[in-house]
Amino acid sequence: MTCIICPNSCQMTVEASGDTYNVTGHKCARGKAFAISEITNPTRTLCTTVKVNASYLPVISVKTSGPIPKNRLMDVMHVLHAITVNAPLTCGEVVVHDILGLGVDIVTTTSLSDISS
Amino acid sequence: MNRHDVIVIGGGPAGLAAAIAAHREGASTLLIEREARLGGILKQCIHDGFGLVHFKEQLTGPEYAERFIEACHQQGLQMLTLTFVTKIEKHGDIFIVSIVNRNGVSKHAAKSIVLATGCRERTAKQIFIHGTRPSGVFTAGTAQHYINLLGYMPTKQCVILGSGDIGLIMARRLTLEGAKVLGVYEAKATPSGLTRNIHQCLYDFDIPLHLSKTVTRVYGGDRLTGVEICAVDSQMNPLPETAEYIECDALILSVGLIPENELAETLSVKLDPKTKGPICNEDFMTSVDGVFTCGNALHVNDLVDYVSESGDIAGAAAAHYTQAPHSEITFHTGQNVAYIVPQQLSQKVTAEKTVLYFRSAKPIERCQLFIKVNNDIVYKKSYAFLKPPEMERLLFDFSALNLQSDDHVTFEIEEESHDLHHLSK
Amino acid sequence: MSFQSIRRQIETLSPGLTASEERGCIVLRGEVDDWQLAVRAGELAVDKKRYLGVINHITLKGFTQHREKPTIQDTELAGATPDVLIIGGGITGCAAARELTQYNLDILLVESKSDVACGASGANGGVVHVGINFSKKSQKHHYNQRGNRMYANLSKQLNVPFEQKGQTMLCLKSWEKIPVWLLKHKSIKMGIPGVQYLSREALLKHEPHIPDFVIGGMYMPIGGITNPYELTIAMAENAIQNGANIMLNTMVTDITEKDGHIESVLTNRGRIFPKLVINAAGIYADEIAEMAGDRTFTIHPRRGTDIITDKKVGYMVESSMGISPFAIMPHQLTVVPKNPVKRFRYYMKSLLGKNHTKGVGLIHSVHGNMLIGPNAVETPDREDTATYREEVASILEVQKQVAVGLSNADIIAYFTGVRAATYEEDFVVRKGIFTDNIIEAAGIQSPGLTAAPAIAEDVAKWAVDYLSQSTVIERNAHYNPNRQNPPKMSNLDDTARHALIKENPDYGIIICRCEEISKGEILDALNSELCVPTLDGIKRRLRPGMGRCQGGFCAPLITQIIAQHQNVSLSDVRKRSQDAVILYHTTKGGRL
Repeated sequence: MTCIICPNSCQMTVEASGDTYNVTGHKCARGKAFAISEITNPTRTLCTTVKVNASYLPVISVKTSGPIPKNRLMDVMHVLHAITVNAPLTCGEVVVHDILGLGVDIVTTTSLSDISS
Repeated sequence: MNRHDVIVIGGGPAGLAAAIAAHREGASTLLIEREARLGGILKQCIHDGFGLVHFKEQLTGPEYAERFIEACHQQGLQMLTLTFVTKIEKHGDIFIVSIVNRNGVSKHAAKSIVLATGCRERTAKQIFIHGTRPSGVFTAGTAQHYINLLGYMPTKQCVILGSGDIGLIMARRLTLEGAKVLGVYEAKATPSGLTRNIHQCLYDFDIPLHLSKTVTRVYGGDRLTGVEICAVDSQMNPLPETAEYIECDALILSVGLIPENELAETLSVKLDPKTKGPICNEDFMTSVDGVFTCGNALHVNDLVDYVSESGDIAGAAAAHYTQAPHSEITFHTGQNVAYIVPQQLSQKVTAEKTVLYFRSAKPIERCQLFIKVNNDIVYKKSYAFLKPPEMERLLFDFSALNLQSDDHVTFEIEEESHDLHHLSK
Repeated sequence: MSFQSIRRQIETLSPGLTASEERGCIVLRGEVDDWQLAVRAGELAVDKKRYLGVINHITLKGFTQHREKPTIQDTELAGATPDVLIIGGGITGCAAARELTQYNLDILLVESKSDVACGASGANGGVVHVGINFSKKSQKHHYNQRGNRMYANLSKQLNVPFEQKGQTMLCLKSWEKIPVWLLKHKSIKMGIPGVQYLSREALLKHEPHIPDFVIGGMYMPIGGITNPYELTIAMAENAIQNGANIMLNTMVTDITEKDGHIESVLTNRGRIFPKLVINAAGIYADEIAEMAGDRTFTIHPRRGTDIITDKKVGYMVESSMGISPFAIMPHQLTVVPKNPVKRFRYYMKSLLGKNHTKGVGLIHSVHGNMLIGPNAVETPDREDTATYREEVASILEVQKQVAVGLSNADIIAYFTGVRAATYEEDFVVRKGIFTDNIIEAAGIQSPGLTAAPAIAEDVAKWAVDYLSQSTVIERNAHYNPNRQNPPKMSNLDDTARHALIKENPDYGIIICRCEEISKGEILDALNSELCVPTLDGIKRRLRPGMGRCQGGFCAPLITQIIAQHQNVSLSDVRKRSQDAVILYHTTKGGRL
């Protein structure tokens, strides 16, 4: 497996025996954690946009405040497809709390002033 | 005319870092950005993966930019947005920068200039794609602009040509927004983007990657209706007998980036044919005294963190710039080294650590980088693997070597297996 | 050549081909497997002395012409009764429209595409020709010579770039001085001034970057360059300013002709009842003539591809130059036979210009890019504006020897135009022969750009003559030949530019970084007489997207400006034609 945590793209091997996993090839602890999570419950941070009112741009970039299960990416996309937020917004503002009960928020990743400025 | 010590041209990650650094070093600094918002291309790079080196955390492009923009505002940096530089002239040791913006035409003087003008995408014509001229051919960056900033879909079903990082990122982004990405085609035998992006952008979404295949023709009178794909031989020439037609409504190109150095060229800055950026020294000063360069204008980086780093170095150096006679030692690239930046070193280099960026000419497993002075190895470093898409960074102290102008400094990458092969003979 | 011998030659060319004499024309029929045979048959049937022309109905097996049609269907023009209906918004049609606005006439020009100059007028090198290679008796020579003289004044009136720095034919071997000398004498007889042979040293003053192997060349000072679509657009705008009406996306689908008189013309915007029709339909002019019952000629499409380089290498040529048609290029030396007799034959063939594709050369565009080409390829497809890898490669292979140091990285674009060639290889500019109320301005291929202003003069005169038979035609007292067009910021000095920005701050917002075009200029183009609110419409008027980034940076911004100006959504903005969608739907709020 290729680690996607950082651009080093370490090639790792995971050997599973029961509930214990033996990871080799990683260069850091985050890599090891990634390898195990990739086997047990692969997660990803979702970055996308949501519709914004009253600004000079029609959308604002957002992300999940933490990783979510890989197989829920499209579910979250569907929810975000329908919501609209209002400018002005500052970077890091929560626009959806605990999305789909996944325990993560949707936060803005940029600041966007309103149309007047 | 307004007078400054340093004028930084370009408000993307390189320019922001350069302006902050110049200001920090006590120079009166003016940052000029042609768009309404600072941040450059990061504004539309809404994916994460930025800042791991610089901030030790995963940030999205806009978040990464935001931190620098905040810093600019806090320090009260002088900035002009929606402002376009039409001309730079050198009068003696002063640069006169002509600008145009909503307030009209004006001129600004500076002792030194930092060019942080970024890069542009290669286009369909440049890679010799033929056929008709329908709508539906986009560079990945343009498609990204439409989707991430304007909120519109430029395709429902597309083919992506080129496995550069933006292309891979766009494959995922398009898929998330409901478009079908039929495949990513790459003329080279190895991917151009980072391995992690191949995994998290393509394999996560079951998007096929086809290596050694390219788009040779587009079809469609109005909107694109399909593309012709051909396998290529080892010289990257398409093999007509392998042609296949793929129905789609868009062709998205991620076929390389070219440093933008048109302003630099008007100043007669010498460019490196390998990087397409200026030839510079360890301060990232170009062949024209007082003109500095950084970021993707200098060479195409893979990580924004290094873009900021080069901006920081160039900005600080520009702030301390005083005209003085100097001479440079040219670095030579030996086997397996695609390029080295900087290309030159001041003979009187004082910095204890010189930042060096290089790329290997081909993918190599288990190899060693050597820095040689007149064939004596002064530095060596082992790498498990080197790939051209992944830029390498290195710090080295040249000041201790006391180099002379006739010293021959060479960078080489040797394959270890190659050595073993020699030994076994 | 007698008809019988023509017929024999046609019939032996391919089984099933027939030739007949009809209404003073030679008419060919049949089907071929190879388009070159159809073209060859057409060429064989030419007898300008005894026949009006060749009507070649020979078709290519399995080929059907796909015609790009406007999607709009309405009754906007239903019942219109213009004095003059001009079919075709190429340079000939637009020049004729402008010329006719000198009179108080109801002038309507219809163009099937979404802009004027979408055919050969838009896709050519922009050379204002010297015309030395035409026969003295040809219409090409006549109109080229007149047109060339009109350009200096015309370009001032229309505020379009025109540079008259001459045209050069490069010589490689000293024996080429002989044909050059012959041509010089021909030019004197034809009334072309200033043609002379220049030694390498003298030539360097005009073209400082000629390759080392060039020993000298024929310099023709009246050659010039302009921007062909800018000129066509300028003519159209000036025509509208003087009262003409131009309808885009309007295609003629049928003509009702009775007893040699056109009664009505059907379009997708309704049926029109014009008093007079001017056929300036370019690549489709023979079909229009056929519908109007006045056909005496055939258009056989001939594609030509040009390559555009970055401005960085624009220095390689000052005006326009090509290797003389007699020259043997260094890359051809290997194919020159060693045997003296064969070698003599080879040179003779070269002398007659048969070893070369016609027209290939280097052109310095008025915008500072270098244009390379064009080639010439016969095609059955009238709309085959595609480019082909092999053709571009072969144009480059040859021209890289003249453009020393040119690299593939210097190329920013290429395009193909389709020439409306007749088999007689001459223009068909005449009053109707079989139909009284039509004027033909057909077969306008190279040097059509040069010739168009002169053709328009004659066409307008004939039109006024015809219309005067039934009514009194007065001069248009308000006619102003000078186009009123908005300023170009990057051409202005700082003071003038500053003043304009103070008046309109949009002139200070640069949208296109490669060509330095402001938002204000884009809005001016959208507010012009001939508003073409598409990406290509703006690109052709102002050049955003023609620079090195090819629109990568500015296309999203221009799409926004157009949408705002037209008060439509981004997905309603088109690249060019009505089906050339750029964006589909919003990412949010709709269906995923």
